[in-house]
Amino acid sequence: MRSGNLAGLGCILLVALVFPFLVDTYWQTVGILAIFYAIVAASWALLVGYAGQFSFGHMGFVSLGAYASALLVQWLAIPIPLGMAGAVVLSTIVGAGVGFICLRMRGPYLAIFTMAFSEVLRIVLLTENEVTGGAGGLEVAPLFHTRSNLPSYYLALGLLAASLGIMSLMVASRWGLFFRAIRENEQAAAAGGVRVVRFRVLVFAIASGFAGLAGTFYGPFIGILTPDIGSVDQMGIVVAMAMIGGAESLPAAVLGAFFVEWMYEALRAYGEWRLVIFGALLLLTMRFARNGLLALAWNQAVRVVPAWRRTQPAGGAAE
Amino acid sequence: MLDYILIQALNGLVIGVIYAVIAAGLTVIFSILKIVNFAHGEVYMMGGYFGFFAIALLGIPPFASVIVAMLLSFALSVLFERTLLTPLYSPTTERKGDYGILVTFGISILLRNLAIILFGPFPLRPPSFFSGSFSAGPILMSWDRIFAAGAGVVMLVGLLLFLSRSAWGQALNAVSQSRESAAIVGINDRLVYTLAFGLGGGLAGGAGALVGPIYALSPSMGLVPDTQAFAIVILGGMGSVGGSIIAGLLIGVSEGLFVALFPDPSRSLAYAQAFSLLVLMVVLLFRPTGFFGRAHAAME
Repeated sequence: MRSGNLAGLGCILLVALVFPFLVDTYWQTVGILAIFYAIVAASWALLVGYAGQFSFGHMGFVSLGAYASALLVQWLAIPIPLGMAGAVVLSTIVGAGVGFICLRMRGPYLAIFTMAFSEVLRIVLLTENEVTGGAGGLEVAPLFHTRSNLPSYYLALGLLAASLGIMSLMVASRWGLFFRAIRENEQAAAAGGVRVVRFRVLVFAIASGFAGLAGTFYGPFIGILTPDIGSVDQMGIVVAMAMIGGAESLPAAVLGAFFVEWMYEALRAYGEWRLVIFGALLLLTMRFARNGLLALAWNQAVRVVPAWRRTQPAGGAAE
Repeated sequence: MLDYILIQALNGLVIGVIYAVIAAGLTVIFSILKIVNFAHGEVYMMGGYFGFFAIALLGIPPFASVIVAMLLSFALSVLFERTLLTPLYSPTTERKGDYGILVTFGISILLRNLAIILFGPFPLRPPSFFSGSFSAGPILMSWDRIFAAGAGVVMLVGLLLFLSRSAWGQALNAVSQSRESAAIVGINDRLVYTLAFGLGGGLAGGAGALVGPIYALSPSMGLVPDTQAFAIVILGGMGSVGGSIIAGLLIGVSEGLFVALFPDPSRSLAYAQAFSLLVLMVVLLFRPTGFFGRAHAAME
């Protein structure tokens, strides 16, 4: 890694660390939610942008992790962190299972199947209200018994840094190459020696595990879980985040999540219009800048300042 | 109990016709443009509202509102196709399937949330086509349902005739088999794409207008039929219009029977939605080419 990149990373980290002291409680909460979405969007980008495994069921895994962790804590009376760990393991296993049974599907078939999976999960969570609280919601015990947002913020930041670090190492290694080979052409990848079955199941398991992790954090932070967390509209927000940032780069997806979540708050006065705006923005991005707005902005910046061409954008958004 | 099962089966048959209309539209789009339209359920929803406002604002008689809804849904679909789907025809676009999925998914989010703003989140119910109900012995069925089923059958027969007898239908069929060969014999493929997407949307919109008086209209009404249409299209074989009609009836009837036979009545309606999704998942797992699929229509 170049020293310039290292310095940039340090700056970003510094800003992230002092951020909660620069803003009020309200924006701290927004920041925590943005970090939650960033983990989800980045793991979706790993699954879809890198490995080309189209999933519209990612928020299903988030709600699986969230509900599993809350119910484990409730039933077994175990400490919350243990419940979170158990839920992450469960999401990973279920993700591997879904990845395994979907091995024959690709493209739209996979998208339809995963969407159906997450809708079935949502309907079950909604209907079995004796266990899950149904539409009224499931109360979740908080992780930190304090009014301050700071512990939650730094935990979220730590989780994001850890997930992003693990995923970045993975995509920078041979595995990342395998994932992209599978995305471009499965047969050719298999002919080239990539164990397609193993890596398709693996990427599904890993991405679902991180989605579950984000869910386990979301429950205790918000305090109440409703099946809506796994709805198609929520999935739409995550898709918009990843695609607006650029789904073929993990940091770009994270920045997309921050941008969309910030816009979501900044446009609060427009209420219902916000999802329409995000939908339109997603469509415009797809139509005119398929690699995401970040890559587009970077290419424009390079045109103005050619000296930047040597440095990579925040993690290689422009391929 | 037996009467109840019979009524549920008949209700299932009616809704099966509606599903078949929606699914036939999805199939036409799929077989020509080679994309799965994730916004199909939302066009169906918009069709319902087009019908509602044609009656409420323009004072059009209810049965004519179905035609207005079809025309407006056709226009809406053409608008989206012209503005957003043109990259599908460009040789420089990479991974067209992914582009189709994401763009139509984006359209569905946009339309659903736009509908919440424009029409409000509360259910609206357009006036009946014909009030009252038909009764013979134990069977009781509202005229709205009978009209919806009849109009749906007319749409399906019309579609099949259009596809097999008219020159335009044959052009659609030719493009679905081979774009290049169709272009060689002088078929304007760009126009065929537009026609196919508009036709599929028009069918969905017509189905939405037919359903309006039976169930109420709401912005999220497209979500379930959308996945049901996927189930039907895959069960019937991607690209086979006849197959999706049979599968639509099959799914409608089995869903009606599921509601009638589910042991816990307080949950049977909620799980009826999950039922069709499970059917969809099972079909995808064990028979992803469906039962009537044509070899050349296999999804890339």
